Amino acid sequence: MQREEKQLDSALEAIILRVSDLKSAIAGMLYKLEHEYETLNWPNFLDNFAIISGHLTSLSKILGHDKAPNMRNFTILPLLLSPEKDEDLLRMTEGRISTFAHDLVPDYLRTKPEPMAEQKMNHLELKASNLTFEASQDSNKQVAQYNKVVSHVWDIAYKAREEWEGEAGARAAQVQTSSSADTHTLVAAIGMGKGLKSDSGPMAQSRVSPGPPGIMAGRSGGQAQAAGQGQIGVGQMGKAPSAIKTNIKAASQIHPYGR
Amino acid sequence: MASQISTAMDSLNAAVKSNIIPNQEYLLQGSVMDSAVEVLLQRLRGLCDNVDSRPETFRDHEMCFSIRRGPPPEQPLSLRVRRALDHQDMPWQLRYIGQPELGDKSRPTIVRSSIDIATSSTVVEFLTELGCRIDFEYIVQGYMFRKGRMKVTVAKIFKMVQVKIPDNVEPISQSYLVELSVLAPRGQDAIAEDMRIFAEQLRPLVQLEKIDYKRLSH
Repeated sequence: MQREEKQLDSALEAIILRVSDLKSAIAGMLYKLEHEYETLNWPNFLDNFAIISGHLTSLSKILGHDKAPNMRNFTILPLLLSPEKDEDLLRMTEGRISTFAHDLVPDYLRTKPEPMAEQKMNHLELKASNLTFEASQDSNKQVAQYNKVVSHVWDIAYKAREEWEGEAGARAAQVQTSSSADTHTLVAAIGMGKGLKSDSGPMAQSRVSPGPPGIMAGRSGGQAQAAGQGQIGVGQMGKAPSAIKTNIKAASQIHPYGR
Repeated sequence: MASQISTAMDSLNAAVKSNIIPNQEYLLQGSVMDSAVEVLLQRLRGLCDNVDSRPETFRDHEMCFSIRRGPPPEQPLSLRVRRALDHQDMPWQLRYIGQPELGDKSRPTIVRSSIDIATSSTVVEFLTELGCRIDFEYIVQGYMFRKGRMKVTVAKIFKMVQVKIPDNVEPISQSYLVELSVLAPRGQDAIAEDMRIFAEQLRPLVQLEKIDYKRLSH
């Protein structure tokens, strides 16, 4: 904060210096115009212009410098206006302004619009006040119509946006079109019969029941496991080596398509 | 239908003559949920060759038989019998599928050996007499598409509630199985790249991937 204030102070000092230079240059030129107009020649006069323009350039350089604070961001606030004569002010302004009063402040501190803008505003206001009642009604109608059109267009745009966002949202939500769990279920089913064997178990058992009891016990154990664990069941069943041949025989018996 | 059979005969003759047999299946698998299957079918109709007519449907009954080749550590040999339920007069199909090779990451698809042949309907008795045992069976019903040499099937897998009665079935999941496959002679790995590109076009609707069978069994 302090650093900024210091920066502002130094910038202001530099600006004041430049402005006083500029002022003295202008005063010098005015003096020459008033007192030496008889002997003044063009090159001299143009030299004076060059000096003024040099001062202006250096002033704008200071204002545009990176470290210079942005003068636009500062506000000058007139705290007190008085119609009394102010000696200090008179001295400070070298006798140009004697009172800090209502008629001068707006011009000096720019508390009213620029003269050009003000002129335009006045012109427009005059035109508006001169309108006849019908004409104003007519323009009111036009304004209403225009508002209607604009709001209609806004509605369309809003609806389109809503639809578009809804679509995008739906698309984002729809991303889940496949599930790897389902893929695995299906592939395991057709590849190894996982989840498909459970029903063949009881069926096979019911068919094999007329067979010898010993074989049946071996089989049913194997089948139960096959039902529970899928492919592993097949391996387990084979672990009873003596049952291999019998299994084949049993298979031929139980086979659903055997005729 | 007759033309299809003759085409099969032609390819068989060609294979016998030139001694080149398309016995390698390049495969990618995935699934699509029931709710999104229509979208997928539309997209496939746009991408595939047989689009002028409606997508071809099929309804097959597949039985997987297995036979032990040796004592336990040996994997049982499995054979698959498939018949078309919607075309009862078509020949049945007997098919051997080998162990899938996943390969490394540079390989875009699963490769497995696959040999199939048309048979009569007595193949079941034949296998049974050989000592094969039916392992499991299911109904597969859905749509098939063709894109060049690639075959795309979108099908629902049904469990048979009662054996031998294919009408009484229930779906095993809320998704359709999607398979992209090509049958080619050994060493034609370029086709796998085409498949990868085709699979990319179906994303993110379906994730067609190499599915590791070994991991699934655990």
